[in-house]
Amino acid sequence: MGEELGYAAELINRVVEGVEGTRTGLHICRGNWSTREEVLLTGDYRPLLPALTNMRVRQFVLEYATPRAGEIEVVGAALSGAVPGSQTPRELGLGVVNPRTVEVETPEEIAARAEEALRFYRPEQLFLNTDCGFGCFANRCVNVEEIAAAKIASIARAARLLRERHG
Amino acid sequence: MTTFTTTQVGSWPRSKRMLRALRDRRTGAMTREAFEAVAEEEIRRTVRLQEGAGLDVLVDGEHRRDNFYSFITDKVEGTRLMSLAEMLDEMEDKSGFEEMLTTLDVPASAIRNPTCIGRLSRREPLAVDDLRFMRTLTDKPVKITLPGPYLLTRSMWVWAYTGKVYASQREMGDDVVRLLREELLELAAEGCEFVQFDEPVLTEVVMSGECGRRTFM
Repeated sequence: MGEELGYAAELINRVVEGVEGTRTGLHICRGNWSTREEVLLTGDYRPLLPALTNMRVRQFVLEYATPRAGEIEVVGAALSGAVPGSQTPRELGLGVVNPRTVEVETPEEIAARAEEALRFYRPEQLFLNTDCGFGCFANRCVNVEEIAAAKIASIARAARLLRERHG
Repeated sequence: MTTFTTTQVGSWPRSKRMLRALRDRRTGAMTREAFEAVAEEEIRRTVRLQEGAGLDVLVDGEHRRDNFYSFITDKVEGTRLMSLAEMLDEMEDKSGFEEMLTTLDVPASAIRNPTCIGRLSRREPLAVDDLRFMRTLTDKPVKITLPGPYLLTRSMWVWAYTGKVYASQREMGDDVVRLLREELLELAAEGCEFVQFDEPVLTEVVMSGECGRRTFM
């Protein structure tokens, strides 16, 4: 397991090494092929941290709208400093809506989630995004356009609330 | 400085029309030109929806893609798009794999893999054209999504095919790194604001044992 993770870190570092002029991100999730939450993977990011801390990407784009992803402090405590070998602060792309559900998360709920992350990240280090795509597999899209549109609108409203409160 | 920047991970629900175009393109019943016309209309609508919602960094919704990693078979030499059902024949543990697909609610015929069947090289850019089209639709920053090198190194390697071409998975991995790096450099040169690599299988490495199951990528 450790060897596999080390290899994964080595591969991404070889891809991004020395590339400037664009923001690089790495997205991790626990599966998005089914709307049945119970068949998707469960566990927090802790076992991945040794590999993630070595990766020279600027942003980790992570699922956090599902309880299967665990607590924010796991990532916040370990991955909010500078990208290794640089002065550039790491960013978190915080997953705030579940792409597979029909209920639309409210701006208040999203803002509350983001405020937990503010214990570790400054507002400019914090991105708000969906947990994953709405249709990673074309024939197995996990939602419909109307709900997807409502969910991204909710994310944008939450950002406006947060900017009023935290600048 | 921007705070609380909003964006998406990448893919958008496909319309019936887009799904039909993807199928017809796959079987060769639709020309590339006709396919592009359908996809461009879908992307245009997806961009308008994101602008209407007020997102800061936009994606194209991956409408052209069969899935977020299999699509590279359209662009990379030495690959073949294979459904998991087709791959089943080559699996060492066929019944175990089949059982896993059922348990995980994975439809073997609807999910396709980019199997490596020859030496890998970019026939055309993976996403530079996607970025260029986005520039014609919006002035907002754009995020381009690409499959991560570990995901590709894992999923593309199917021993019965790839073992004839590469001495080891790591040797194939070196070519995966090369083609992704070439793409990243081109996207950066084009001024792409954000390039995201998708590595969902990382969780599988550490969590599938705990959950007593493994997934299909």
